Amino acid sequence: MKKMHIIGIIVIAIAIGTIFTTLSSTSTYASFSEAAQEPDSEFHVVGKLNKEKETVYDPQANANLFTFFMIDNKGKECKVLLHKNKPQDFERSEQIVLIGKMQGEAFEASDILMKCPSKYNEGKIQETTASK
Amino acid sequence: MEYIGEHLLIGKIGNVFVILSFVAALLASICYFFAARDNEETASWKGLAKNAFLVHGLSVIGIVVMLFIMLYNHYFEYEYVWHHSNKQMPMKYILSCFWEGQEGSFLLWTFWHVVIGFILQRSAKNWEAPVMSIISLVQVFLTSVLLGIVIFEHRIGSNPFTVLLRNHPNFQQVPIFSNPGYLEKLNGKGLNPLLQNYWMTIHPPTLFLGFALTVVPFAFAIAGLWKKDFIGWIKPALPWAFVCIAILGTGILMGGAWAYEALSFGGFWAWDPVENASLVPWLTLVGAAHVMLVNKTKGQSLFITFLLCILTFVLILYSTFLTRSGILGETSVHAFTDNGMSGQLLIYLFFFLALGVVLLCINAKRFLIKTGEEEGLWSREFWMFVGAIVLLGSSFQIMFSTSIPVWNKLFDTKMAPPSNPIASYNAWQIPFAFVVTLLIAVGQYFKYKQTALPDFLKRLSISFFASIIVTALFAYALHLTRAHYILLMFSTLFAVIANANYIVTVLQGKIKKAGASVAHVGFALVLLGALISTSKKQIISVDNSGTDISSLGEKISGRENIMLKQGDTLSMGEYEVTYIGKRFEGINVFFDVDYFSKGKDGKLNKAFTLSPRVQTNPQMGNVAEPDTRHFATFDVYTHVTYANLENAEEEKAKGSNEYSPAQIVDLKKGDSIFASNAIVILDSLSTNFDKTPYNLKATDIAVKAYLRVLDIAKAYTANPVFIIRNNNIQKPEPVKVEPLGLQFMFSKIKPETGSIEISMQEKKSNKRDFIIMQAFIFPYINVLWIGCIVMVIGTFLAIVERLKKNV
Repeated sequence: MKKMHIIGIIVIAIAIGTIFTTLSSTSTYASFSEAAQEPDSEFHVVGKLNKEKETVYDPQANANLFTFFMIDNKGKECKVLLHKNKPQDFERSEQIVLIGKMQGEAFEASDILMKCPSKYNEGKIQETTASK
Repeated sequence: MEYIGEHLLIGKIGNVFVILSFVAALLASICYFFAARDNEETASWKGLAKNAFLVHGLSVIGIVVMLFIMLYNHYFEYEYVWHHSNKQMPMKYILSCFWEGQEGSFLLWTFWHVVIGFILQRSAKNWEAPVMSIISLVQVFLTSVLLGIVIFEHRIGSNPFTVLLRNHPNFQQVPIFSNPGYLEKLNGKGLNPLLQNYWMTIHPPTLFLGFALTVVPFAFAIAGLWKKDFIGWIKPALPWAFVCIAILGTGILMGGAWAYEALSFGGFWAWDPVENASLVPWLTLVGAAHVMLVNKTKGQSLFITFLLCILTFVLILYSTFLTRSGILGETSVHAFTDNGMSGQLLIYLFFFLALGVVLLCINAKRFLIKTGEEEGLWSREFWMFVGAIVLLGSSFQIMFSTSIPVWNKLFDTKMAPPSNPIASYNAWQIPFAFVVTLLIAVGQYFKYKQTALPDFLKRLSISFFASIIVTALFAYALHLTRAHYILLMFSTLFAVIANANYIVTVLQGKIKKAGASVAHVGFALVLLGALISTSKKQIISVDNSGTDISSLGEKISGRENIMLKQGDTLSMGEYEVTYIGKRFEGINVFFDVDYFSKGKDGKLNKAFTLSPRVQTNPQMGNVAEPDTRHFATFDVYTHVTYANLENAEEEKAKGSNEYSPAQIVDLKKGDSIFASNAIVILDSLSTNFDKTPYNLKATDIAVKAYLRVLDIAKAYTANPVFIIRNNNIQKPEPVKVEPLGLQFMFSKIKPETGSIEISMQEKKSNKRDFIIMQAFIFPYINVLWIGCIVMVIGTFLAIVERLKKNV
């Protein structure tokens, strides 16, 4: 069973390798304040759009820059520079996940994930205007 | 209250079928269990079991038919129908409505098990009783998902026939239900716009058939352990395993095709958790089928054969749990929400896992401690075994990463998925793919038991050197520089060439016998196409005007989107691209984008038009769908990421004489302003001009600005005047350039900076429509699709051959 032993060892080595590299390549969910403490690391920040404040998207100047204010789950507000187009239906989002780094006062996001409300839970029922 | 027009009878019939199918499955499982024992009562138990399974199968078909009738006739009084369909929807999508919801997709899965069960009843011979007992047991669990009954305050399953919209807890207070004739006014919520696509009518049933087929190797493996016939089960299960590989593989790739054609992430594979969840069982199944091949007669590595067969089915259950329990949360674009079923799914998962593990442990010593002969180092058996181990490793890495949300739940950590998932998965999967394709290349050249090494090397050497040359040529032509890409390219080409060579030299072109080789060529082509099209994917819509954000990471360009105004032409890769305008067709807004190519004489010739679209859906949000032009060697992909979808506003603006708010600019001599249709230059200022048209008094101070207004064709002038009378600045008069819809006012002089202030206004009708778009080129993606087809053909050839041998 020598061969099997060698294979067994290799398998275990690969398994440990995958676990460690996977764990080291993961990002972390954090708040804005936590992200600010480590400006070099990338974080996932979950929060909500501040609908009171202005969102700026001026594609004439830069089609890949969209600025808005987000309040994270701990209640802290921060300016966000998203280096992408403004997502369609952005204002409807009820939850935002930003992926990026804190740079100074602003959070520089390279990507965004949005959760739009499912109308299912709103208890609304659409009526047909012209019943046909 | 008496409601008018409700169709409650059909729901009652459906519910009867649900209960009947559950009870009959339970009965079938028990009867088959007793029929599997070897005694004189076997025959009578078997007869009973057959009938019970028949009743179960017919009931499931009954459920399917009832649900279809309800969807077809828009019976919105049922929550399921209301939730997943509406009246506007084309009939062809009724199928998609059927399996959009959890109940429907479980029903689809159950239905395929019934079909498989009917076939096994006729073909499994003396394996029928134990195998069908297991399958019936699986059916008990699956049909319980539809039960919707409450036991000890726990609701088991969700029943589409008993949940009426007006009784649903979310809609208790809705006033419409105080009207007895509410149905007249009701319309459904409709289907998720992402699913309104032809791929979505064929991808789910194919994928679910693939899922369902994994039950067969599982049931056979369990039956083998149970009946202590550790080798006999492999032969009858083999063709099923290969059918499953072909169908599940097709289903997964159809999902990729759907993502490529209809989703907007710009590719066919993104290592999304839902994609991974279906890929991993496929990988373990491929491993299982290959070790089954080498174990069907002698059984050297039975343990891993059992393990992989059991694991595949358990992974299917785990995938279902991952995607249906809502645990993936924000990590997946597919993200289904939890509807209280996750506990139930976990119970199924652990039940079948425990069943497999316990049976495996009880019998472990029979095939683990097997002293004596071990397969030779240069035998096909050994390398097949190694291949299966590699596939298992690859599956483990994918599953471990995909399960991060599960680890978070279990260990209360806050890990997020890698921010660049594609790179972190590829870091492991490219080496795995390299090893697997190398094994595919050499595998068939190994003989069973022992291979003569010199002969083996001689046969392979031609393919080996040919692959090196072809790789060098390809890498040079495609400018492939990264070592790991070149290595993978070599191993995939080696697999293609070595298997093709095997068909020609060893099998002497007998294509009927070449199923395995053909399938291997196909698989290698899939990987080759994926490698080239993703590593050489070219973003041609590069916007260099933005700020540099390379500090955020090298993978993030932040320049993929570009603005294109209506009528403007921009250079993108080898094309000149113009945005023509938008069209409104039903719920879709199409954006026509013309691609021109430069002829030899430098003239632009229109090459093709792409019409990416946005599907408007006020209920569920708008969905953008890309458009792709396919050529033999590459695809041009275009996607609108942002656009104005309003029609009315622009129509109103057209021909209107209103001006937009002023744009106020400080200008020095020689400075210019950009209007949307012209450039404005301040040429000079003067106090010495003919003042009569301005009714000026002698004491007035007046300055005239000479503005030159240039559009593409013509130059215009505008000369606004600034007047101070009795130390008061006079209200400036606007000066118009009527053909361009522009007007100018000279509102201030700023001696401190030596500049003047001009306020410019444009007519609203001047504003041109624009889109923000992305354009990519995917080279040689057709290699991938051709590979898919070749792989499926090869697998079916192998199945036909296998069935011939089995008979």
